[in-house]
Amino acid sequence: MSDATLGVLLLGFAGLGPDQDHQRAMYQPAFEAHPGFEIVDAALDDPAVDVVSVCVEPERRADAVIAALQAGKHVLVDKPLALTAADAAKVATVAAETGKVCLPAHHQRFHPMIAAARGAVAGGKVGLPWNVQADFLVAGGTPSPAGELANFAVYPLDVVLALTGLRARRVFARLGTHWSDGDADDFALLLLTHENGLTSTISVGRTRSLADTRPAGLAVHRYRVSGSHGVLDIDASRPAVVLRRAEASSQVWHGPGTVDRLLDELHAAVTAGRPSSPSAADAVHIAEIVDAARASAASGHPVDLSTEKEGSR
Amino acid sequence: MARHSVIDDTGPLGVVIVGAGFIADHHGAALRASSRARLAGIVDVDAGRASAAATAAGGVPWTTDLAEALARPGVDAAIVCTPNMTHEPIAQQIAAAGKHLLMEKPLTITVPSARAVVEAFDAAGTVVMAAHTHRFYDYARAVDDAIAGGAVGRPVFARLALLGGWIWPDWRAWVLDPAKSGGHALHNGVHLLDLVSWWLRDEPVSVYARGRAQTAAELRIYDYLEMHVEYAGGADAVCEMSRGHRPSTLDRRDVLVAGTDGVLQLPADGWGSTVVTESGTSLLHPQAANGFAVQLDAWLDAIADRAAERAMTPADAVRAVALGVATELSIERGEPVTLDEVMEGVRS
Repeated sequence: MSDATLGVLLLGFAGLGPDQDHQRAMYQPAFEAHPGFEIVDAALDDPAVDVVSVCVEPERRADAVIAALQAGKHVLVDKPLALTAADAAKVATVAAETGKVCLPAHHQRFHPMIAAARGAVAGGKVGLPWNVQADFLVAGGTPSPAGELANFAVYPLDVVLALTGLRARRVFARLGTHWSDGDADDFALLLLTHENGLTSTISVGRTRSLADTRPAGLAVHRYRVSGSHGVLDIDASRPAVVLRRAEASSQVWHGPGTVDRLLDELHAAVTAGRPSSPSAADAVHIAEIVDAARASAASGHPVDLSTEKEGSR
Repeated sequence: MARHSVIDDTGPLGVVIVGAGFIADHHGAALRASSRARLAGIVDVDAGRASAAATAAGGVPWTTDLAEALARPGVDAAIVCTPNMTHEPIAQQIAAAGKHLLMEKPLTITVPSARAVVEAFDAAGTVVMAAHTHRFYDYARAVDDAIAGGAVGRPVFARLALLGGWIWPDWRAWVLDPAKSGGHALHNGVHLLDLVSWWLRDEPVSVYARGRAQTAAELRIYDYLEMHVEYAGGADAVCEMSRGHRPSTLDRRDVLVAGTDGVLQLPADGWGSTVVTESGTSLLHPQAANGFAVQLDAWLDAIADRAAERAMTPADAVRAVALGVATELSIERGEPVTLDEVMEGVRS
């Protein structure tokens, strides 16, 4: 990685719902800790700004990202990149036109267990993958008023797509509200059929608080990849040193977190002048799946995705 | 479950085993270990196989004629382990003879025939139970005990995966012929569909399933099944049944149940010890109760006391068949299939 220091403008401190502020909670501390970035207090068009970290309200997010890209800046954008696939596609078009990096914050794919698994699958360790099962269950924290399909589902969807490299063609989904008091969904079950006939099933949701899981921490986070020549189990609650004490048990690990590794990718893409991975096109495909899931859950039938627009991966 | 009643003054129940294939050995072993029942004979269409099994069992009578076996004095009941497509006529014959029946799953391979079999046993006043043996395994009971005890509150999502590799014979095996087995959903899928429905204590309303011919493109059954079940109370279940995984030594049971008040897991690596040898890594199963023996006791309980609550009811057996039929239909259509549709015309 180049040792160039990139100037970062923090734009917006909002998220899905009044309590979500990933800018202050996640990105700002990670930028401050990362040697490749320096947070600058400047206007968008200031030459000192190389990268804009966008956490404006989801309704205005796509427009804000487009404005930053058109101002010649690279962008890190909180997830979801947009609330609809149509808005996400507008962003991806501008990103392609400007040639600037537009990195959606799908940081779970940088988890050390998952990153290693991506390499193993891509290297043929299990042969040709034909099925993935995933569970992404968070315990506690504030339920997203937009629902967990919009909020959390992005993460395991991105991981499944990154693991397999196969786009989804058909979506069957169920949405439920099992733990929270509001109307928003807090559980989604996604049954996808991908290119080359691969199938995947993803459960994602937010349960009530559980002992030994920090608020809004992952109680279950795992993936199983079945391939023509083997099976890969990924338990993303590991690696961990497990601590058992009188009051509670907990886990610790050393090294950069997933957001730190996301910033590594941002820095590498910007300094190398290449598109990031994930890209805005990846976020478009995930938004298409989320839209289709909503339609499927409402109708009770599977929904086929258009095959006209192909994203890059 | 109720313990067996004291109505036991006639000595052990005489049980014939019909169909001397590999699963019959498990039932035979359970019978040998029981003081409440005894093996009273072997029936198989293949005389050589019948006589060999009878000899191995210590010289019990054998025949190729079911009617002859059922007419023999001291024969009160039958355990049937024949290919799936024969279940209906054999069950009807046993009901007509006034005997009790433990039928290897599935009860039959169509919903109307399953209902007809249950009605025949109702009319005869004898007991029919489908051998959904997983209900009687320690792991399934541990999960059920926890749910029954309220450990997770109201269960809202369940996952059950039973994954393994190829264990069947060659292309001539009846299991591989959907006309004979009903398809893999009827043959093995019913184990999981029954088990999660029992755990969730809820009525299934629809099934959305995907199937895959993984071992060979020419297979006419799906050796890998991915079955989603929607329940009346809003719960969801995902069941995976595989005989198509590689390596073929894969031996996987995985359970996850999320409820309103907690999460229950039997992790894939949580039910055995890992053995690493020169030939690879395998799982050493823990010592466990013999599920076939526990199941035999449950069946004998039902026979001894017809009024007692049953561990596996005839309605459960019909429901399992309906879920299997809905699974096969859903794969064919690529759409969810409701239980109402597959039960249509057979509901009273």
